[in-house]
Amino acid sequence: MWRIALWRALNLFLVMVSATALCAAVAALSAPAATGFLRAWSARLWGFTHGDFGSSLVTGGPALTAALKSLVATLALAGSGAVVALVLGGIAGLLFAGGRGLRGAAILVQCLAAVPVFCAGLAFLWLWAHGPLRDGAGLWATRLGPFPAAFIEQSALPVLTVGMAGAGAVQLALRRSASGALGQPWRKGLRLLGLTQGEIDRHYLAPELLAGLLSGFGEVALALLSATAVAESLFGWPGAAVLFLKSVALHDWNVVAVVLLAFAAMALAAETLGTIAGRGLFMAWERT
Amino acid sequence: MSVSDASLSRTRVVATPSLVRGFGMSGLAFIAVVVGFGDVVAGTSAGLTGIGPPLSRPSAAFPFGTDLLGRDMASETLHGLAVTVDGASVAMLIVLLVGALAGYAAAQLPHRLGGALRALARVFCLVPPLFLAILLIGMSDRGWVAVAAGLAASPAAFARAFDRATMIARSAHADYAALTGIPASALLRRDLVYEFRAGFLTTASRALAAVTITLSTASFFGFGATPPHRDLGLIIASAREIFLDAWWTVLFPGLALAFLVLCARLTAGLEEGERP
Repeated sequence: MWRIALWRALNLFLVMVSATALCAAVAALSAPAATGFLRAWSARLWGFTHGDFGSSLVTGGPALTAALKSLVATLALAGSGAVVALVLGGIAGLLFAGGRGLRGAAILVQCLAAVPVFCAGLAFLWLWAHGPLRDGAGLWATRLGPFPAAFIEQSALPVLTVGMAGAGAVQLALRRSASGALGQPWRKGLRLLGLTQGEIDRHYLAPELLAGLLSGFGEVALALLSATAVAESLFGWPGAAVLFLKSVALHDWNVVAVVLLAFAAMALAAETLGTIAGRGLFMAWERT
Repeated sequence: MSVSDASLSRTRVVATPSLVRGFGMSGLAFIAVVVGFGDVVAGTSAGLTGIGPPLSRPSAAFPFGTDLLGRDMASETLHGLAVTVDGASVAMLIVLLVGALAGYAAAQLPHRLGGALRALARVFCLVPPLFLAILLIGMSDRGWVAVAAGLAASPAAFARAFDRATMIARSAHADYAALTGIPASALLRRDLVYEFRAGFLTTASRALAAVTITLSTASFFGFGATPPHRDLGLIIASAREIFLDAWWTVLFPGLALAFLVLCARLTAGLEEGERP
């Protein structure tokens, strides 16, 4: 186990060094042309290693400070979206893996997966605007009392948009690990030993599914981070993805570099932690 | 229903990929024909305003309704689809060349050099392709959006091709070939002729799905197509302020976009929920 963790840590370090070098190259674009790209790049790289990410062209303040405020908001959105993704994707993954008839719904998932996130976000907005909750006169609103519309528009809808984007990756990770586990010969052996199907699923299949889900968490994180850009832009969430779009449009390369580095770090951390946790769980399960 | 039934149902689903792929390919062929005869089918040229009353609902005269400037949405959707397909085709070719083909070639390079390129591709894969594409557009010009989308989707294609080629290179037949003195260049040719050709349709349609989403989203954010050559993403973006009252201005371009991505996904044989 410790060898895997050590290897992963080394891998993480090397990838982060490469990502830092690439982001420093982006930040070097903000240097005057007379400086020369290579000189600017090495200066930015040196600055990055010392925690100096340059200053924002727009605000004049440190690029890191500008990015950090937005990154907190993005993390909150991605984190809340991850919860929704785990719930929705978890239910869908288990249903699709377990139900023969429900596999017929696969084409529905295929169609939903083909809808770009910004179209899904617009659809949520339209449904909310024309739904029974919006005007306070519908059945739900009567039962629940005055509904906090601002909360739904500004928080619930973006979280749902991001969560739906991640749910596809979650259910896929679950289905993949389920299809791998279900073909294992030990299942037959356990049945012959007298265990019921429920016991086998609970004690042996569930940990393997969880391990598979954790191992695929990097893919889930990437899906969530991609969706945050759309959700933040559509619903006016003051996050890092919107800051990234604005900074690219304004050629504020120092801020662009910091946001990119932060996104790469988040994706890498999710992937690494997921792999280690999944592997650890799998090894613990094998020992039992 | 027990979880163990999934293996049976999965077998049944996997047993009919040709039907699913056939549907996807038919859809792409249909789109190609519609786009090819776009000017004839559309009836009006792109961006022609005042064709009908502004924001009229779908009717017999205007099946997809009209937008704020009285443009026929059916015609606009068709022209937008053509612009999207044009851009996506260019981007797809770039993914095939810079991603898939280069991945196969890199696997034949001396081990450390190939491995270094694969590691570099992995670093790029950490950032969502949409962000990479927007970054490249910001560094260049909106006119290069197709190239940017293609380059942004290439690292993932490169990594997949490299891994596939490495797996082949480590197989028993590669060992036999090396022992019998067959040079690495011959093995590369073999990979390109057989492996790349065999997976060409899958790789190309997967790339098409990926770049279509990236292109349209970039346009939606204002980093892509420029008027009067509006793609589907830009058409949807221009209706953002009015779509709550005029749903048809977003629904039909959105459906056209989703249909294109769906057909590409089905042709590629992607699993449900799998990211292209």
